[in-house]
Formats: sequence, structure tokens, C-alpha cells
Amino acid sequence: MEEKSDITISPVKKSEPAWVTVIPNGLRGFLNEAGETTRFALRFFREVFFPPYELREVVHQCYEIGYRSLTLVGLTAFIIGLVLTLQSRPTLSKFGAESWLPAMVGISIIREIGPVIVALICAGKIGSSIGAELGSMKVTEQIDAMEVSGTNPFKYIVVSRIIATTFMVPILTIMGDAIALCGSFLAVRIKSSVSFTLFFDQVFGATDFSDFLPAFLKSFFFGFAIGLIGCYKGYNSKKGTEGVGESANSAVVVSSLLVFVIDLIAVQITEFFGYI
Amino acid sequence: MMDTFTEESKTGIGARNYGEPIIEITHLQKSFGENHVLTDFNLTVKQGENVVVLGKSGCGKSVLIKCIVGLIKYEAGSIKLFGQEVSTLKQKELDIMRARIGFVFQSSALYDSMTVKQNLEFPLRRHGKQKSKTEVDQLVEETLENVGLMHAINLMPSELSGGMRKRIGLARSLILKPELMLYDEPTTGLDPITAEEISKLMLAMQEKYNSSSIIISHDMHCAELTANRLVVMIDGINYAQGSFEELKKINDSKVHAFFLNSK
Repeated sequence: MEEKSDITISPVKKSEPAWVTVIPNGLRGFLNEAGETTRFALRFFREVFFPPYELREVVHQCYEIGYRSLTLVGLTAFIIGLVLTLQSRPTLSKFGAESWLPAMVGISIIREIGPVIVALICAGKIGSSIGAELGSMKVTEQIDAMEVSGTNPFKYIVVSRIIATTFMVPILTIMGDAIALCGSFLAVRIKSSVSFTLFFDQVFGATDFSDFLPAFLKSFFFGFAIGLIGCYKGYNSKKGTEGVGESANSAVVVSSLLVFVIDLIAVQITEFFGYI
Repeated sequence: MMDTFTEESKTGIGARNYGEPIIEITHLQKSFGENHVLTDFNLTVKQGENVVVLGKSGCGKSVLIKCIVGLIKYEAGSIKLFGQEVSTLKQKELDIMRARIGFVFQSSALYDSMTVKQNLEFPLRRHGKQKSKTEVDQLVEETLENVGLMHAINLMPSELSGGMRKRIGLARSLILKPELMLYDEPTTGLDPITAEEISKLMLAMQEKYNSSSIIISHDMHCAELTANRLVVMIDGINYAQGSFEELKKINDSKVHAFFLNSK
């Protein structure tokens, strides 16, 4: 039976400077949330470099987050590669540029579609799962129990998960790219007799390291954002079981939004360094 | 505060010879915004004593034991645990102190992602000196046998009933053989038969490990079974204290209200 908490905790009312009251409530709430998330991220950086290191938990989370997402990421990437190729073919045919199909699809997937789609899938699957898991741990006092057991819960739960997402999302992205290209090959193969070698020759002939590197690097930031937001929302979950649902939901929404924001910034940086 | 009750208690069960005080709480205060939960709470618990803190929901009982174990920071007053002031302890000192305390949470707080065995191993791996796998296995099995749930060793928490979860929560708290046990509503949400079993188990474990306890509850039957002394918390203070029988006889409507539904 779910027991309600024994105490009612009302927020501490601090005196605010007069200028703060001029800011609309919505904006104030957004700034407050952004500030708290930044503080949470800073705490992560403060804790990640100092012992004790929870290596065993990091490996466990890498398995949970990486390996268990592989099927979903692979399936989605395969379909995206297949559909993208099927949709692009008629347009390229109009210009007699059908032979450019592998190159075009390859660049699209490696540069942009692969990393973003994989990050969005991970935001949905991993972000919600971390948000719900930590939220549930919070409301059922498991985090307190951990602290009483002489464990730093932030390090054990939060740091290990953020490290795992930061390193697993890029690996999933590489796998997703490869599987999407296989899907694309299948779509090409349906309508023409292009060999596997020729298809991938064309893909890799049209792409170089500067296409791959920025995309690979930004996927680390996607992974970090997904882990950070999932953990932040779950770790600060309130209002009992209702709060768990809210944490999971807002973890997905905010981390998906952050993926696009990071992508936008990454494109600007890539352009600045002349890689576009 | 009704001092007369406090004085009266000295002639009752509270006058039994217990050891040295292990907890001394004086003038404890804690607020959450405008909500003043603890206003001036005082309590001393001696070695071997079982103290039940009674109070209505939301009166601050859980906050009290969370302050004792350092999970919540208090604003004023003092908590001396094993002679050391809790608020001045550094994290490492607090962790060493926590190894001497067992905490049974209201919701049992079993780690959902771990089996029963892993739940019990967790504090051993964290708090205790490095133990061999055989020693750890022996301790886990011995503790599970004490609570009568050896057969559940490989089950996940989701496969356990409410009573089993409480027992496993108790076993996890006992595995380090603590000197002080803190129970947060140990019988809440259980049927009367299971609640009585848990209360008797708590007593048995206290005798076996010779520990002291603070039991937060509003279950009068549990209080009657387990308490050497009862403390009634009203408006953030220790309003009255004494043995079960002493408090039952007191002619005070606020205290009497707790006994209305008891046998």
C-alpha cells in the first residue's frame, strides 16, 4: 500500500529583490529551472573526478543503457535509412541524379539524421527510464536508504548514469549509422542491381572524416544532456507517485528539446570551423 | 509541555536501570517554510531502551529520526549521538556513525533493481571493513534466518508481500549489528496479524543484538508491545512521556485521544 509522506513540506519563502517581481512568472520559472539544472551539472563535474569511483555501477549502467537500447535504435535506424532512400529516389530521378543516391543518403545519415534520430530515441527510452527510476527511488526513500548505508547517492546513482549515457549514445550513434546505411542499401537494391561494395564505395567516397567527426562529437553532448536531464528530473521528483510520472514525462520533453538546441549550436560551430 | 507526566514516568518503567545515554536531544527545532515541525523537542534514550514516539500524521515524527541520522539538517538545538554532536560531523564521521545505526524506513526502501541478497549485501559492502565472499554470504544467510525469510534470498522486492518487505528492510538494517535502531512507522500498512508479528520480531531482534530503539508509530498495539517508554509528540514538543500504562491512566484529552482505539 502506498503511504503518503508523514510531513507537509512547504517551500521556503525567501525575500526576493524588487526587480525579480517584474519578471513574468513563466520566465522566472524557466530561469529558475535552468539555474537549478546548471547547479546539478556543476555538482556532477565536482563529484565525477574525485574518489570513490563507482566503476562497477558505471559498467552496469553502460550495459543497461547501451546494450538494452540496441534493438530499438537498430530497428529505428534501419527503417529511417530505408524510408529516406525510398523517398529520395523519385526526386533524384527527376534530375537524372539517381546515381548520387548512396552519396546523398550517406552524408545525410552520417552528418545529421543518424546522430539526431538516435539521440531522440535515447531521450525517449533512456531519459524516461532514468527519470522514472530515480523518481521512484526518491519517493520510496531508496535514495535516503542509500545515504544511510554510507553511500553518496549522487555519485552512485547520478554520476554513473550520466557517464554511461555520455559514452553509450555515441556508440549507439555509430551502430545506428551503420544499420541505417544497411537499410538504405536494401532500398537501393529493391529497385536496382547495385552491389554491396559499390554502394558503400559511393557512400564513403562522398564522405570524409570532417563529416563524421563533428557528428560523432556532438553525440557525446546529446548523451550528456539526456543523462543529465533524466537524472535531474528524477532526483528532484516530488509529489509521490504522481511526481514519478511527471519526472519521466518532463525528462523526455526537456532532453528532446535540448538535443535540438545542442544540434543547432553544433551546426554553428561546425560552420565556423569551415566543415560545412 | 506537561512536565508532570515526564516526572511521573520516572517512577514507572523508565526508572529501570539502563546503560549510558546514547542519544541526547535538547531544544530541537526544525521548520519547512512556515511549517514549524519541531519547536522544542527534548529526548534522551539510554542503552538498551525502547522508546516509542507517538504523534499524529504530519507532526514531525519522521523528521525527528531523519534529523538524528543526519538526513535532514536541523536549525537549532542539539542532537548528541554516542556523545557526538550530529550537526558538527563531517561526511566521513557521519558515515562511520551511521554504521552504528539501523534505519527501517516507512516504505521499507528496498532497492528495486537488486535481489533480496544484494539488498542485504549493500550496507556490508559500503560500511563494513572488506569481508570475504564467504563471510558476506554467512552474514546474509544468518540475518535472513533471523527474520525467517531465508527462502526469499533470490527474490526481487517486487515479488515480496508488504510484511516480507518490512522483514527484509529490518534484516538489511540489522546486518551491521547496530547499537541503535530507528524505526519509521514499522507496522503502517500491514494487517493486524502481520503488524503484531513485526512488533514481536523487533523485540526479539532488540534482545538478540542488545540494541536500543526509537520507534516512530501511531499504532498503539505496536507501542504497547515494544515500548519501555512512550513519548507523545504534539505541536513539535515532547508533550508527555511515560510507560504505556502510565500514559493510559493520565487524564488529558490530547494524550487520551491516542488510547481511544487501543485495547
